[in-house]
Amino acid sequence: MMSRRLLPVLTLLCVIAAVGAACGRGDGKPATIKVVIAEYSRDHTRPFWQDLAEQYTKQTGIKVDLQVIDWNSIDQQVSTMIQNNQPPDVLNLNSFSSYAKDGLLYSADEALSSKTRDDFLEAFARGGTYKDKLYGFPILASARAFFYNRDLLERAKVEPPRTWDDLVQAARKVQALGGGVIGYALPLGPEEAQAEWSIWMWNNGGDWKSGDAWTINSDKNVQTLSFLAALANTHRVTQVNPGKTNRTDGAFQLFKDGKVGMVMGFSPLAAQLDAEGKVHYGVTQMPTNVGTPVTLGVEDYLMAFKKKGNQEAVRQFLDLYYQPEQITRWITAEGFLPVTKTGLARMSGNEKLKPYLDALPSARLAPTTDPVWDKVKLDVQQTIGLAVQPGGDPRQVLDRLQKNAAESGR
Amino acid sequence: MGRALLWLGPSLVLIAAVVIYPAVELVRASLGRYSITGLYQGAVGLRNYGRLLEQEALPTVVGNTVTWVVLVVGITIVISLGLAQLLNAPFPGRRLVRWALIVPWAASLIMTSKLFVWLYDYYFGLVNRALVAAGLLRGPVDWLGDDATVMGAMIAVGVFVSLPFTTYVLLAGLATIPGEVYEAARVDGASGWRAYRAVTLPLLRPALLVAAVLNIIYVFNSFPIVWTLNDRNPGMAHDTMITYMYKIAFKSALRDVGLAAALGVVNVGLILIAVLAYLKVSRWREEPV
Repeated sequence: MMSRRLLPVLTLLCVIAAVGAACGRGDGKPATIKVVIAEYSRDHTRPFWQDLAEQYTKQTGIKVDLQVIDWNSIDQQVSTMIQNNQPPDVLNLNSFSSYAKDGLLYSADEALSSKTRDDFLEAFARGGTYKDKLYGFPILASARAFFYNRDLLERAKVEPPRTWDDLVQAARKVQALGGGVIGYALPLGPEEAQAEWSIWMWNNGGDWKSGDAWTINSDKNVQTLSFLAALANTHRVTQVNPGKTNRTDGAFQLFKDGKVGMVMGFSPLAAQLDAEGKVHYGVTQMPTNVGTPVTLGVEDYLMAFKKKGNQEAVRQFLDLYYQPEQITRWITAEGFLPVTKTGLARMSGNEKLKPYLDALPSARLAPTTDPVWDKVKLDVQQTIGLAVQPGGDPRQVLDRLQKNAAESGR
Repeated sequence: MGRALLWLGPSLVLIAAVVIYPAVELVRASLGRYSITGLYQGAVGLRNYGRLLEQEALPTVVGNTVTWVVLVVGITIVISLGLAQLLNAPFPGRRLVRWALIVPWAASLIMTSKLFVWLYDYYFGLVNRALVAAGLLRGPVDWLGDDATVMGAMIAVGVFVSLPFTTYVLLAGLATIPGEVYEAARVDGASGWRAYRAVTLPLLRPALLVAAVLNIIYVFNSFPIVWTLNDRNPGMAHDTMITYMYKIAFKSALRDVGLAAALGVVNVGLILIAVLAYLKVSRWREEPV
């Protein structure tokens, strides 16, 4: 008896819960927007966005479902949201073009005020463009720089290297100090191999693409990867198994421990080194094999997802973030670089950021505007390390990457 | 009927929500094509299953999975038999040792795995320092980076975290063996090893079966250990079916949720077959002799 009444009631309850969550209010304005942000640091990310969300709710009456997700699982969680047809309204990620390609996003014309649109630095706006429209709104940037341990270089009696030949010599002398000291820490493990590789590639005159065609296995790139393999296996001036070393808990950890002469780092590493105060370090330009040093600029994005009735709500949220005092407050706290003209004006006096700001003009971005890049990046992460292991074959590895990239593009 | 349903209702709802619904979703996902963003792009029938068989890494991964499951479960059970025997014997401080044994079980697998990453580290790790100091190694070994040692290093951690549960199951089994049978064995002149083989082991069989079957399932499905200890290594050379599935979905150039779901379905099938085969081989229906 009971059950016959109970079942419909239960069903009804479920339906009510589901509909309530999905539909929101009927007056064209959503009750809540979902904002998904990657966690750049424990200390600053959530507090900033929490505060921004509260201001937003006060202004608009719209609640914010804020989700701060760590970098290790954000790809997976966002993918699951989209599979289940529950995409975020605003998403922060290090890629955007696949989402633009799938037609999930508002363009800048639809989601940003003209004042915000015009404030982006030219290069970063270009880096967020897919098919002539801006879909990946720059949220912050970083640039790599060459870090060296002053004490170790002094003991080895070498200057910070300017060329690749200098680097080999310097690394040899540092490594020769003995006692487990490492000349150059080379992280080509899966975590961020594409970043390390990009810098080496560009400083030998190679590139990912030429025009619309991928050029991953160009002769120059084969030469570059062979050079890295030689650093590891012929000169033996890197840490053990560089193809199987990650950046954060591998190369950076060793540098922070004072065991490494040189490494490619970025401003958050500097912040950690300053906080620990253990290593006396210097920051300079990348060593180059072709004359002009090039560094890697990395731009992360905010995206606005097309959902029925959310356009105005999303625009208000983004405009709030892009107010100069908001975006600058956050970027400064996290130790990254500005992406807007007003931000650059405000931050250019910051002494600590000087080496990175100086490097910005020579910084290049990975080809993030091509959706194929999202796969190439993962492919590079999972394979390039194999080329610098003993017995690895640089040409074979690059040929394969090239083949996969060309096929994905079709 | 109505009353029975009322009593069963909550568990049925629970089973539907946490077992049936995800299973149905998994099968559905395995029949679809997904963009790299996770966007559904239509049905493809069984094509994902066909593509799975073409994956170059598959034979390696299957081999790794068999090695991983057989060695972790096998070594765990052998060591646990000894530990259970030890903990079954009265000695001062037994309660303390029993408690201590639970610790690796209670700790989160990710924390334990991270801890082992540091213990195994080439430059900082205690394992190298201890082995070199003891004269067992001439120089440090890159346990997690050297292709020859990664699997062994992972298996050691797998055994470490499986020991508590297995030991307790076997300990419970030992507690059910009445003292009289040992008396009888002694009267018949069997003691020590002989009594263990002829009396203890056969009577432990139900507990051994439970320990083996549950461990096969746990170890096969174990993600955190392999993922954490192997995260520095490019490619799939040391992955098991479970971490391979994750890499297909999110961390490799494939980035294909449909293909990963197909592998997920295959995994469930494989584990069922493995358990049934094991039960068949060990003739679980027979009464202990």
